[in-house]
Amino acid sequence: MTELRTAIIPPTRLIRRSRPLLGSIALAGLAFAFIVPILWMTTTSFQAGEKMFQLTTEWIPSVWHPENYPNALSRAAFGRYFLNSGVVSFAVMTGNLVFCTLAGYGLAKFHFPCARLILLLILSTLMLPLEVTLVPTFLVIHKFGWLNSYQGIIGPLLVDAFGVFLMRQAIVSIPSDYLEAARIDGAGELRILWQIVLPQCKPALAVLAVFSFRDSWDQFLWPLTVVSVDRMRTYPLGLVQFGDDYGNPPTEQMAIAVLATVPVFLLFAVLQRAFTRGFGLSGLR
Amino acid sequence: MSGKASALLPSDARACSASAARRFWRFDFRDRIRAWGFGFVLPTVVFFAVFKYGPMLWALELSFTSYDMVSQPRFVGLDNYRDLLADPIFRETLVNTLVYIGGSTVLITLVALALALAINTRVPGARHCMMAMFLTNLMPIIAVCLVWRFLLHPHGLISQLLHPLGFDRVDWLTSSWTAMPCIIFVTVWRFAPYFMVVFIAGLLAIPDDYYEAAHLDGASPLQRFWYITLPLLTPMVFFVVVVSALLSARIFLMPFIITGGGPGNATRVLSMLIYETGFSYLKMGRAAAISAVLFAIMMIFTFLQMRFYMGREEAYIR
Repeated sequence: MTELRTAIIPPTRLIRRSRPLLGSIALAGLAFAFIVPILWMTTTSFQAGEKMFQLTTEWIPSVWHPENYPNALSRAAFGRYFLNSGVVSFAVMTGNLVFCTLAGYGLAKFHFPCARLILLLILSTLMLPLEVTLVPTFLVIHKFGWLNSYQGIIGPLLVDAFGVFLMRQAIVSIPSDYLEAARIDGAGELRILWQIVLPQCKPALAVLAVFSFRDSWDQFLWPLTVVSVDRMRTYPLGLVQFGDDYGNPPTEQMAIAVLATVPVFLLFAVLQRAFTRGFGLSGLR
Repeated sequence: MSGKASALLPSDARACSASAARRFWRFDFRDRIRAWGFGFVLPTVVFFAVFKYGPMLWALELSFTSYDMVSQPRFVGLDNYRDLLADPIFRETLVNTLVYIGGSTVLITLVALALALAINTRVPGARHCMMAMFLTNLMPIIAVCLVWRFLLHPHGLISQLLHPLGFDRVDWLTSSWTAMPCIIFVTVWRFAPYFMVVFIAGLLAIPDDYYEAAHLDGASPLQRFWYITLPLLTPMVFFVVVVSALLSARIFLMPFIITGGGPGNATRVLSMLIYETGFSYLKMGRAAAISAVLFAIMMIFTFLQMRFYMGREEAYIR
């Protein structure tokens, strides 16, 4: 019986060993299917304009047209649009990193009256996205005289309730003893925040940076509402206008879409390590 | 107890109140720390008062008025709401929104869970596959919408792929039966990888010992999933359902770009109706009333989520 079993083992082991390989191939196929639209966008951006309307997609352009990029950039003020989007997204990201960290720290480690109520009220604003408060927020910005200005676009996006909660949860797990010890050693509150709290929540900060940048880079409805002059448009508004204007080839629209994708992917690539830790994915390899 | 004590020792009570007064006026170091803490939170509190709660109250007030930004707001009572109920376009839009929320929430949750389980087999390269799929979540939404509008074109890539399977030309985005499913499909493509990552984090947190023990007891993979994975993942499932419902309730750009709300009103959702009513027709009061309806939908999900958040202490994401 035992001999028989040992005789059987090798082929079984062979199957077992090939199984992960089959799994890897299947999973890679699935992942590939997911990113097909991203690949399509990229190759199409190098395609000749008339190829868009053929009945079969030509995956690898027979003739590459890198001039789609400068052409697209010269047809509308995309330089300006990207600059506007960059200013807005950078400001929103910075605002979120600063204010969410401060508020998260305050709510996690200090026991002042109403702290829990404040946390509840902040979390409740998740049911008040800009889509819901669009009309009155527009009227507020109008009252401030901020229509068609950077502060008008940035203002209502500056702090996000998710960010506050994320930072609070990251800071809660830091032992309070560290803070007490620093206080006894005479460190000021800002120094404690800078030297003890911040270094320990780098992963959460990376998650917050990526998401707040992406969300403001994606923002469409709010700039559409608050901006009415061409010079203050962000790139999504410019891109839609570009598509609506007669005679602009869709391949050039894809070129701008590729350019718009690059900054988010770059930011993610830079912060990837901390980001995966922030998500609790360190165990996966 | 304290009443009795103060009756016996009035001088003590006076001393007590005196020290309380002193404590009130004197700022000892503990209070100073507390003040710092409050100071850290203050900018955020002011922000939310100005840009969230202020506008919310203003929206409620506006919803009882007729206002076009030119003349003064005029109080009209419940007229806006009554008009909405009678308006077939509003009713259709509300139904669309609910269908969209339901469809995308269910599909996002199922797809994300399936993907997470696939990644969690931890076959070689699983991590890279996860990262690749996550890219769909980082691609700018405007690019997502434009690309999918081309892919779902009657002659686009999707039709080409389906052609060998015997499908004729399908007008994906211009027939009222397929337009909404297409929008939901794109939504799932865009958001499921994010929730997949949330699920993977949850799966990684389940100790391997549980599975080994179950394996020794002879549990089948299906049993292991049903009796170990799913119960331990329940809080995560709850989180994913609620957050994806909140995300889809506020959707604007996808129907706006991909179908423009059409064909007819088949893919028009509440946020689009708010924008059009407020800024194309300048009926601010009526737009505020629609906002109140969307707000009510979001409130249900937010309360569910709050129950989840306040009970947990570990970091949660997004």
